[in-house]
Amino acid sequence: MDRQLWAVSLLLIMISCSEKNTKYNQYFARGEVLYEKQCSNCHQKNGKGLGLVYPPLASSDYFEKNFNASLCLMKYGIKGSIDVNGKNFNKPMPGVPSLTELEIAEIATYIANSWESNHGMVEIQQVTEALRTCNTK
Amino acid sequence: MKYTKAMKLFWDKQTTVNRSRSTVDSGQWTVDRLWTIIYGLLTVVLVSSCTHKAKQLPIFGERKWNGKDTVYHTIAPFQFVDQDSLPITNATFQGKIYVADFFFTSCRTICPIMKTQMLRVYEATQTTPDILLLSHSIDPEYDTVALLHDFAQRLGVESKRWHFVTGVKDSIFKIAQTSYFVSAMEDNSEPDRRIHSGAFLLIDKQGRIRGKYDGTKEESVNQLLVDIKRLRNE
Repeated sequence: MDRQLWAVSLLLIMISCSEKNTKYNQYFARGEVLYEKQCSNCHQKNGKGLGLVYPPLASSDYFEKNFNASLCLMKYGIKGSIDVNGKNFNKPMPGVPSLTELEIAEIATYIANSWESNHGMVEIQQVTEALRTCNTK
Repeated sequence: MKYTKAMKLFWDKQTTVNRSRSTVDSGQWTVDRLWTIIYGLLTVVLVSSCTHKAKQLPIFGERKWNGKDTVYHTIAPFQFVDQDSLPITNATFQGKIYVADFFFTSCRTICPIMKTQMLRVYEATQTTPDILLLSHSIDPEYDTVALLHDFAQRLGVESKRWHFVTGVKDSIFKIAQTSYFVSAMEDNSEPDRRIHSGAFLLIDKQGRIRGKYDGTKEESVNQLLVDIKRLRNE
């Protein structure tokens, strides 16, 4: 009985692990498609941005330090001056208001795990939390 | 002296070979010679047609005969203002080769890709002062001189080599359509309220269009870089 229980629990752990992996892969893949549609024109496919016009997303300290704000600006845009990797950027970015919480989580998962970054998955719950803090004025 | 001796030796050897062959089969010898001549001529024709092609880029647009010369399509007279408030006219590009495009700073569709590619052209032509770049804003009311100045500075480019111009909206649309043969117009059904071509146009020292490239495609811009060199060598 004990051995059976042990086997079942092991199986459950394995399933949940692979489910998590599948979910991550799905988020990442859909995030990539959304990134190329909504973000890569300006921030470039390699995430390096362009001069001081479009800030980089690859190895960006802004994304790491202002995680919630980064999720907000995808939907609501951002205006004014920001510093990214020691450089000042000050051009308005229009948001994409039609993005759902799931889509934001997917894009964030893609950005957080691309170009040598490896921050793991961004869950919808994190997006819901972050969007509550947005300064939309 | 040495050369003629070597030639003589070579010639003697050849004639010996030919002579010995001709004794065997004189008909075969004639056919062989004929083929050599045909191949020789073919090679000359092919090589000359290739080098001719490599020399000249095509000239775009309508051409007319004025009784003396062929008159080609050229860019019509224009006057715009660049990021340094300097007037930019056809005279700015006299004796220069230039690459032109149409964009606007707040565009989030193809323009940023075009600007990445144009920056490549800028960097590739850094040591050739006879090549200039001209980017027209098709949203001139929003893209003021100050905004274009800021934009150019943020790209980190010199005003004297890359002019970002603004001006009367209709003049910009008109010159795009009738001089550069590219589309640029307002369209309220688009998210950015305007549509325009992503083309880069290569203009020669006489103001004639010599090439059209897709400014959103790296390979097409590679071809532009090759053609700039060709045009300089014309």
